[in-house]
Amino acid sequence: MSSVLYKSVVKNFGALNVLRSLDLAVPDHKFLALLGPSGCGKTTALRILAGLDMPSAGKVFIGERDVTRLQPRDRDIAMVFQSYALYPQMTVAENISYPLWIRGTPDIERKVKIGEVAAVLEIGHLLDRRPRQLSGGQRQRVALARAIVRDPAAFLMDEPLSNLDARLRLTMRGEIKRLCQRLGATTIYVTHDQVEALTMADLVAVMHGGELQQMAPPIDIYDRPANRFVATFVGNPPMNILPVTLADNGVRAGGKIVPLERTRFFACRLAEIVEIGLRPEDCSVAQHDAPDVLPGEIYVVEPMGNETLVNVRLDGGNVSVRAGRDFRGAVGENIGVAFDAANACFFNSVGITAVHRVNSNGREK
Amino acid sequence: MQSGTQARKYRLQGAGLDLALPYLMLAPGLMIVLGVLVYPLLDGLKASTRTYRYGSPISDVGLQNYVHLWSDAQFLNSLWVTVKFVALSVSIEAVLGFALALFCLREFRGIRLLRTVLIIPMVITPVVVAIVFRLIYASDAGMLTALSEAMGGGAMQILGNPLNAFIGLVVLDVWEWTPLMFLILLAGLQSLPQEPFEAARVDGAGAWRVFADLTFPMMRPVLAVAIVLRTIDAFGTFDQVFVLTRGGPGEATRLVSIYGYDTAFKFQQTGYAAALFVTIGLVVLALAFSAIRLLRRIDAS
Ligand SMILES: Nc1ncnc2c1ncn2[C@@H]1O[C@H](COP(=O)(O)OP(=O)(O)OP(=O)(O)O)[C@@H](O)[C@H]1O
Ligand SMILES: [Mg+2]
Repeated sequence: MSSVLYKSVVKNFGALNVLRSLDLAVPDHKFLALLGPSGCGKTTALRILAGLDMPSAGKVFIGERDVTRLQPRDRDIAMVFQSYALYPQMTVAENISYPLWIRGTPDIERKVKIGEVAAVLEIGHLLDRRPRQLSGGQRQRVALARAIVRDPAAFLMDEPLSNLDARLRLTMRGEIKRLCQRLGATTIYVTHDQVEALTMADLVAVMHGGELQQMAPPIDIYDRPANRFVATFVGNPPMNILPVTLADNGVRAGGKIVPLERTRFFACRLAEIVEIGLRPEDCSVAQHDAPDVLPGEIYVVEPMGNETLVNVRLDGGNVSVRAGRDFRGAVGENIGVAFDAANACFFNSVGITAVHRVNSNGREK
Repeated sequence: MQSGTQARKYRLQGAGLDLALPYLMLAPGLMIVLGVLVYPLLDGLKASTRTYRYGSPISDVGLQNYVHLWSDAQFLNSLWVTVKFVALSVSIEAVLGFALALFCLREFRGIRLLRTVLIIPMVITPVVVAIVFRLIYASDAGMLTALSEAMGGGAMQILGNPLNAFIGLVVLDVWEWTPLMFLILLAGLQSLPQEPFEAARVDGAGAWRVFADLTFPMMRPVLAVAIVLRTIDAFGTFDQVFVLTRGGPGEATRLVSIYGYDTAFKFQQTGYAAALFVTIGLVVLALAFSAIRLLRRIDAS
């Protein structure tokens, strides 16, 4: 059993309140991505779980054990630090094998293990060097190797891929995911890269300003964001938000009335929604005078190769639309934005998602 | 044409000043160094090849003074006493200073005050320290005797007994110079990166392993520099011994500095004393160089 549980964890640094009552439960063997903007308290949460910082209030459990007051070494965890934290006077091989050496693992076994992880992380040729003779990305991989060389109850990784180049990041992403699945340890993976979070994790927890915004499987984070912050933080380009007012059987957005299905309309009216949220891929470009489209004019056109992002200025704000790769249009040209209202979600005045989208494949939960 | 030459002239003048400026600014310092360091050094070297009578040179004897040193039992004994003194004091100071520095690294209430108090001995004039220790050690009215009598014992013989006097001198040196070690090592410890220590704790290392595997190896250069500094300094210890024991009883605390002083001013053998100090200087220099070489080898491996 190595589930991880944060129970009303609070952390203050003097007067600065960094974590306000964090409740987070990671089931056994799951890969959780902790996602959030810089400075939201991800590292702090991880350090509390590792035992490097004491929470100001609340408790931390690993498995059934209350570890809040335990020393880091009694918690059976392995951690990758954001700043690598390699041992400067040891060689790469010594660095990697240190956790094993401390536990008295026999030499032969250690050698084999070093070889294995070095091969996975492509650092076999660096084993005799010292940390200061390595590049940032190489150091990061050594730090990663030092963590995965052991078989702990939980892995804590603080942005372990942030310094790698794009190609290596892609391969490492896959390798880490495979490795964690094979080892079966509970993993908490801190990142501010949403692609990493969505592609690698079983569960994604989105944090903002020291508070947990939502924890759900990646697909739900994407399709059913709990609030406006999650909706706009996850997704690239981010979800479009437009102010709306209620009208007869629908909402008024972008200067047009968008009709809504009856139950959704009543739900919207009940929740006193003020904004509509639309993913760029749920919108499409159309003739500006076609029926049921929001009229606007082209603001920016960004060809991406496989598709074209069109930013359209509407009455009430700009929206991004994903168009085909052969889209052609000039800035300032009139254009319409079409969408299916069933794919839209609606936020109330405090930013909570009051009405979710009806999924296109009909799996309304 | 005229203005062109003019411009070149100015440029050259400007460049001339630019070139000369560093030397001009160095000049005063350089003069002082030449005057108070280099000249006496050369003069000392010259003196070491002569014999003196009543303070004036009477003949050139070449390297004879140097050769004579190595058959002088008193010199050899003073060298042995010095080596014992330096080795004992500096190693105790290093261990004690390191322990104190490790202790004072932690943050708790009153730590600033403690750190300040700990470095006080270092800033007291050595002669004053020696006088205070004489008062402590004195066999008639000293603090130790008073303490011993209060507990029912007899008078404490410190400065009258060869072994006790030597130990007393080491204790004085440790008291006075542990703070320097402490200060250097504390600064070293405070400049170490924090993350490796956190990583080691997570990796499962206890306090002892953290010290042996991280703190000590990372501190080795600082420790070595501190030890070399203190060793060089301890070889020259003079004032404290001069005030405390004058080298006695017998030759028990007669360091080379005291012996050199005696030959120069008591026995008026200026040339011989100069040769003695030049030799000691070379020994210390060799020591320092080999220590630094060793350090570099450790660093490179
Ligand atoms: N030791 C400390 N003392 C005071 N404030 C701190 C301390 N450590 C962190 N903070 C503050 O706590 C907040 C959260 O820091 P934290 O390191 O957890 O952010 P993060 O989410 O990991 O950010 P990033 O993605 O940039 O690494 C920040 O505002 C930071 O300034
Ligand atoms: Mg961080």
